[in-house]
Amino acid sequence: MSALTHLLAGLVGDTVARIVLGVVFIMGFLTFNVLFLIWLERKVAGHIQRRLGPMEVGPHGTLQTVADMLKLLSKELFTPVAADRFTYLLAPILVFMPTLCVASLIPVGDAPAFAEMPYGLILITALSGLTVISIFMAGWSSNNKYAVLGGLRSVAQVVAYEIPVLLAALSVVLIAQTLDLQQLGDTHNWLHLFGLPMPYVVAEPVAAVIFFIGITAETNRAPFDIPEAESELVGGFHTEYSGMRFAMFFFAEYTNMLVLGALGATLFLGAWRGPLLPGWLWIILKAYAVILLMMWARWTFPRLRFDQLMSFAWKLLIPLALANLVVTALVVGLAA
Amino acid sequence: MTAVTSVLRGLRSLLVGMGITGREFVRPAVTLQYPHQRPDVSGWGGPIELVTFPETGTHDCIACNACARICPSDCFKIEGKRPEGARKMRATKFLIDFSTCSLCGLCIDVCPTDTLQYSKRYDEAAYRRVQTVNDLLTPFGEDPYLTGKLK
Repeated sequence: MSALTHLLAGLVGDTVARIVLGVVFIMGFLTFNVLFLIWLERKVAGHIQRRLGPMEVGPHGTLQTVADMLKLLSKELFTPVAADRFTYLLAPILVFMPTLCVASLIPVGDAPAFAEMPYGLILITALSGLTVISIFMAGWSSNNKYAVLGGLRSVAQVVAYEIPVLLAALSVVLIAQTLDLQQLGDTHNWLHLFGLPMPYVVAEPVAAVIFFIGITAETNRAPFDIPEAESELVGGFHTEYSGMRFAMFFFAEYTNMLVLGALGATLFLGAWRGPLLPGWLWIILKAYAVILLMMWARWTFPRLRFDQLMSFAWKLLIPLALANLVVTALVVGLAA
Repeated sequence: MTAVTSVLRGLRSLLVGMGITGREFVRPAVTLQYPHQRPDVSGWGGPIELVTFPETGTHDCIACNACARICPSDCFKIEGKRPEGARKMRATKFLIDFSTCSLCGLCIDVCPTDTLQYSKRYDEAAYRRVQTVNDLLTPFGEDPYLTGKLK
């Protein structure tokens, strides 16, 4: 990697070389990740229902998503006549951008992240809130009642669930005394049990559960997938999208899962720390463990009704997260 | 108090649900990979076929048309010929239209020489209607009685 950076730096200068290589590397990994996660989702769904999932394309169906992607690429890009054309075309492009920015902020080892930030956590929470705007753009510009309803639901849901996610993350920040994701991996801030550093999930189990529920809702996944509830809203906000534009929403959803899973791993599961394996592998494994749990939940629970979803967030999760934050603050304040 | 207990009970029910799907997740799949794996068809009665008797190495259809007469769907068209000097007829054509056959098995019951039986075939789909009409004598080739090899 560094040899390649040097080679490129001779041609276009150091900063540009770093940015180009970083973007290429992150985009490449995210593309691979989406293809892998869709395959994994279908495998998990299959085995939970005692089926096998995709088996025909490649060994154990591993190339199934590549085939699906080629199919989507060759499909007609359909634009409704009454759609708000500019917004309609912009939404699938924009939906992917915030996740890409967030992906470059997460540290994967002792070396600084691709985009190093002393206030990384704030930037991440701000950026991940942007995804919902493009989802609403998609729903609104399609000029379709189901799409609008899906977009509206998505906004209401993300607004409601971002609060508990933030409060849960904040309770970790109170213990770690930092907003820098890099320093969250510093073991000397961690809780020590029997002389061993414990990841923040040990100190903050309630916050970890709230965070997990919150990111499941933020990624619009079952049981919180009412913005695209197939049985009532056709496809929700992406009803009118076809071909690669539809695939972009899929792409964004699965990338968002990875990014928020990695953020959860950074906050609660001890970042990239772990024995034997290198740091980048540990954070990927931890993120995938969180994602596997999300998939497991998706194929277990039925979808919530909209009012249940809202009252769950406002009446249960937010008070609980607030109480947890207050207790954490008291403990940290008294211990200091 | 009831709110707290209902939340706790709900949480427990979620965990129980996860436990059930988790258990199913690790159990082996029951899918049959159809073209690669074939199902067990020992109990299955498919479209009829002619029995090959080991003593003669051929069927024993005498073209009596009993099956054609009893068939509720009118599937059969059978022609026969009497070999020279023989008492029994031999079938020369045994057409059956599987698209109308309902696998009722009356022909098997009525056959006087017991030369009809259910086959084990189950994937008889075809693209054209004419492909559903088959001559059951085709696999037997030349009739040894009619050519005089057997008396």
